[in-house]
Amino acid sequence: MNLIEHFIEKAKSLNRRIVFPEGSDERILEAAAYIGKEKIGQPILLGNKEKIYEQMHNLNLSIDNVTLIEPKTFPDFNQLVTMYVEKRQNISISVAEKLLSRELIFGGMLVSSGKADCLVAGACNPTATLIQSAVLTIGYRDKISTASSFFIMVLPGNRILFYADCAVNIEPDFEQLAEIGITTAYSYKKLIGGQPKVAFLSFSTQGSANHPLIDKVIQAVQLALKKEPAIDLDGEFQADTALVKSVAEKKIKKPSSVAGQANILIFPDLNSGNIAYKLTQYLANAEAYGPILQGFRYPVSDLSRGAKVKDIIGVSAITSLQV
Amino acid sequence: MDTKEIEERVKKVVSQVLNVPQDSIKIESRFVEDLGAESVQSLELVAAFESEFDIQMEEDAALSIKTVETAIEFIKKYIDAK
Repeated sequence: MNLIEHFIEKAKSLNRRIVFPEGSDERILEAAAYIGKEKIGQPILLGNKEKIYEQMHNLNLSIDNVTLIEPKTFPDFNQLVTMYVEKRQNISISVAEKLLSRELIFGGMLVSSGKADCLVAGACNPTATLIQSAVLTIGYRDKISTASSFFIMVLPGNRILFYADCAVNIEPDFEQLAEIGITTAYSYKKLIGGQPKVAFLSFSTQGSANHPLIDKVIQAVQLALKKEPAIDLDGEFQADTALVKSVAEKKIKKPSSVAGQANILIFPDLNSGNIAYKLTQYLANAEAYGPILQGFRYPVSDLSRGAKVKDIIGVSAITSLQV
Repeated sequence: MDTKEIEERVKKVVSQVLNVPQDSIKIESRFVEDLGAESVQSLELVAAFESEFDIQMEEDAALSIKTVETAIEFIKKYIDAK
């Protein structure tokens, strides 16, 4: 059983309510029908009910285990509008009504109000729009003010590493980098279990070089430790020091619970993170699952525009495990 | 509706949503850099423009509208197409 199959089995035992705001996308319809039929979760499709019925009928898909909601005719629409207005200053009822007529915002409010557990979108919306909608409705989790993403890298031999951020933050400052480290540790605990060991990477190990780029990483480690002293996190480390015990023993000067045994790698920027995940994927034959969004009060996932039905099912399972 | 009227109404909406004085809003003002908007507020601005002008803008219009001037241009396009 591969990791995704394992996640799907676990998701079945939780049977979470998953909102799919992009109910007009055929791939979403197929994935939702499968998720409902296999009881991986309880799919909620948003969009024009008649069109969804028709599309599902044409695709020969069962709607038996799928809930369809059309935002404007939803009985609790006004309640959600009121909740939105209470949450956001300066927004009138009429503007909130406009906002909630958009499926991404409406879906976010379903989750925020407890009428659904998590949200999966991005098949036909830009990542930026999805993140903005999630920030406005679901909001960030405590101590976090940055949306970020991670990849689950499964190496041959089933060694699992989390890489972050390889998809969202182009040039995070030290505060954002600290948050990315903390949030990825939370995500690791939820999905994999066990003790997260977070290494903040650089081209220097504990002061072996001097440069403002290294200072940023050092500041991030200090801030992250201050915010979450209970998490094992350390740096700045070169990648080999973070991952290989024998290298760590030679290079580090201070004792570290992370060096040589990291299971989470935090990259200083998107250049390094994105390059690293692709190199690991293609040169080390690793499976790469992601990017998976993190940092929100309730789970939200971003699909790639080219996502296939099986990708959507996998992402939905991962999302439901983060609740 | 002429451009001047659209401009005045856009400024009124921006002032309400971003809670900034209307006279501090210039045509060249950038929402984030000059008027202190969070980037997420662009979705709210678009919804407020839709409500004010009774138009329906594209889902990703919010990503393109960065200044008062671009907002006016976008809105004018939608009004002209009505």
